[in-house]
Amino acid sequence: MGVILEIKNLTKKFSGLTAVNDFSFEVRRGEFTGLIGPNGAGKTTLFNLISGHEKPNSGTIRFDGRDITGMKPHKIVNLGIARTFQLVRSFRFMTLLDNISVSCLSPRGKKVAKEYGIDEYASSILAAVGLVDKARIPPIILPHGDLRKLQIGKALGTNPQLLLLDEPFSGLSHEEQKGITDLIIRLHADGVTVFMTGHVLRELMHLVPRVVAMHQGKYITEGPPQEVANNKIVLEAYLGKGSEQLA
Amino acid sequence: MVKKLEEKISAFPSYIRDWIKTFRGKITIVCLIILSLIPLLTQNKYFIGIFLTFMIYTIFAASWDFLAGFVGQISFGHAIFLGISGYVTAYTIVNFNLAWWLALLIGATIAVLFGLIIGIPALRLKGPYLALGTLAMSLILFQVFIMGTLSRWWEGTIGTELFGTDGISKVPLISQDPVIEYIITLLIMCLSLLILTHITKSNTGTIFKSIRDDETGAEASGINLTKYKIYAFMISGFFAGIAGGLFAMRFRGVNPGIFQPLYSFYAIIIVAVGGIATISGSAIGAFIFVFSGEFLRETLDVSLLIFSIILILFVRFAEHGLLKPTLERIQELWDILLGR
Repeated sequence: MGVILEIKNLTKKFSGLTAVNDFSFEVRRGEFTGLIGPNGAGKTTLFNLISGHEKPNSGTIRFDGRDITGMKPHKIVNLGIARTFQLVRSFRFMTLLDNISVSCLSPRGKKVAKEYGIDEYASSILAAVGLVDKARIPPIILPHGDLRKLQIGKALGTNPQLLLLDEPFSGLSHEEQKGITDLIIRLHADGVTVFMTGHVLRELMHLVPRVVAMHQGKYITEGPPQEVANNKIVLEAYLGKGSEQLA
Repeated sequence: MVKKLEEKISAFPSYIRDWIKTFRGKITIVCLIILSLIPLLTQNKYFIGIFLTFMIYTIFAASWDFLAGFVGQISFGHAIFLGISGYVTAYTIVNFNLAWWLALLIGATIAVLFGLIIGIPALRLKGPYLALGTLAMSLILFQVFIMGTLSRWWEGTIGTELFGTDGISKVPLISQDPVIEYIITLLIMCLSLLILTHITKSNTGTIFKSIRDDETGAEASGINLTKYKIYAFMISGFFAGIAGGLFAMRFRGVNPGIFQPLYSFYAIIIVAVGGIATISGSAIGAFIFVFSGEFLRETLDVSLLIFSIILILFVRFAEHGLLKPTLERIQELWDILLGR
């Protein structure tokens, strides 16, 4: 099992605030990994650095052995990394089917989608995320859980090797969370490497075999969820000083 | 008789058939038939001329609607394409004696090049900044031409002719026969609207719409924003250029006034009235615009004020333009007449 994503000494500063501080980590191919940390820990910034939406001040990111540090987002997508966003975004005035079609029309997505026909391929993705009966509806009237599924569908259209999910559970009811969880498990079983963040810890901890913890931009520790949850620094980060008593 | 007509229609490819069956398709065909009959119904050159102006503005506005309504790039400087193509078309006909269609294509192609030149800085600008930036570019060109700056650099005949403050005149009409001029302009208008509509309905159109709806999301879906934004400016520039060349030939000349922001605003007003993101709405908007302009001709000074008031009323009460609500009302009326 090789390393699919290698992050080395990554640092990102925003005029005085160090959002990501000398962060290093490896995501292994085919694995299901979680990234945890309290609000403001730098998780989304880290994702933005990986997906190319932000440029790091220093450090490198290698994907599949290739240096992708500072590459433009659309190029990174076409190399095989797809992501979802914490604040759900969609193409508001287009149907769900068209929403998915856009990623199927990317250079990378097109290679696969062309064989089946763009519309057919987009439909099958909609079916995979459980939204096919709403194919002709625009996203404006969808509930939050469906929008999260749509986001994952859009990411799938680009035929990714690595899927970055930024807080896929936030704002979801318990049922909606279950739906997303099942979907993610199925994707992972199909061979997609999944790297997700969350701070709805309960769901995350049951889902992933390995977790890395982040606080104030820094790498804290990694390992199986139970271990990491009992780590002194992690507890302090989430619950404040003095919580190491709970370990 | 109706049955024979239906048989004829069933020979057409399926999606055209489906379109004809819709109310919108039928009304469009009726309008097209009426339009084509105009030159046969009247010999009044002036009246035909108004229709020509209407058709040219339709193409111009449609090119703007394409860029703004389908790609989300709002340009306040569309007069640039009108002017560049107008000048190039006029110049090549007058000085090289080219056929009108060749001059027109050359003019539109140079306008496309300008689409490229404008598209590149436009990549960094969004929303109001893009509007201001394009407005600024058109103002610069207007100043350059009206002051005749380049004519001093380009001494000799080219300089004074191309960049002189008098502009280029004595441009021949497309045809001495007004009927032919009319039919050609009508065909070019229909072709332009068809092509633009086809692009918006294609896969490329889907990509364009994604850029309009959510740029970051489009990028995250693997779309190369730079490439597609530039394509969009070039396509829009081409059709605006066609309008510009036709303009030069209809009015028998061009002068620096063609670069005025006023013309850019005309496109925006027409699209606001006719319906943004419709392409064919430009036809309705242009029709209303040009014909009410004629009625208000007496009140020349006040006409812009009146237009502004009308525009405000439209924006307030018919936010998405006239096309859809009008079609719906007419369809209701038609249903009532047929007793449904």
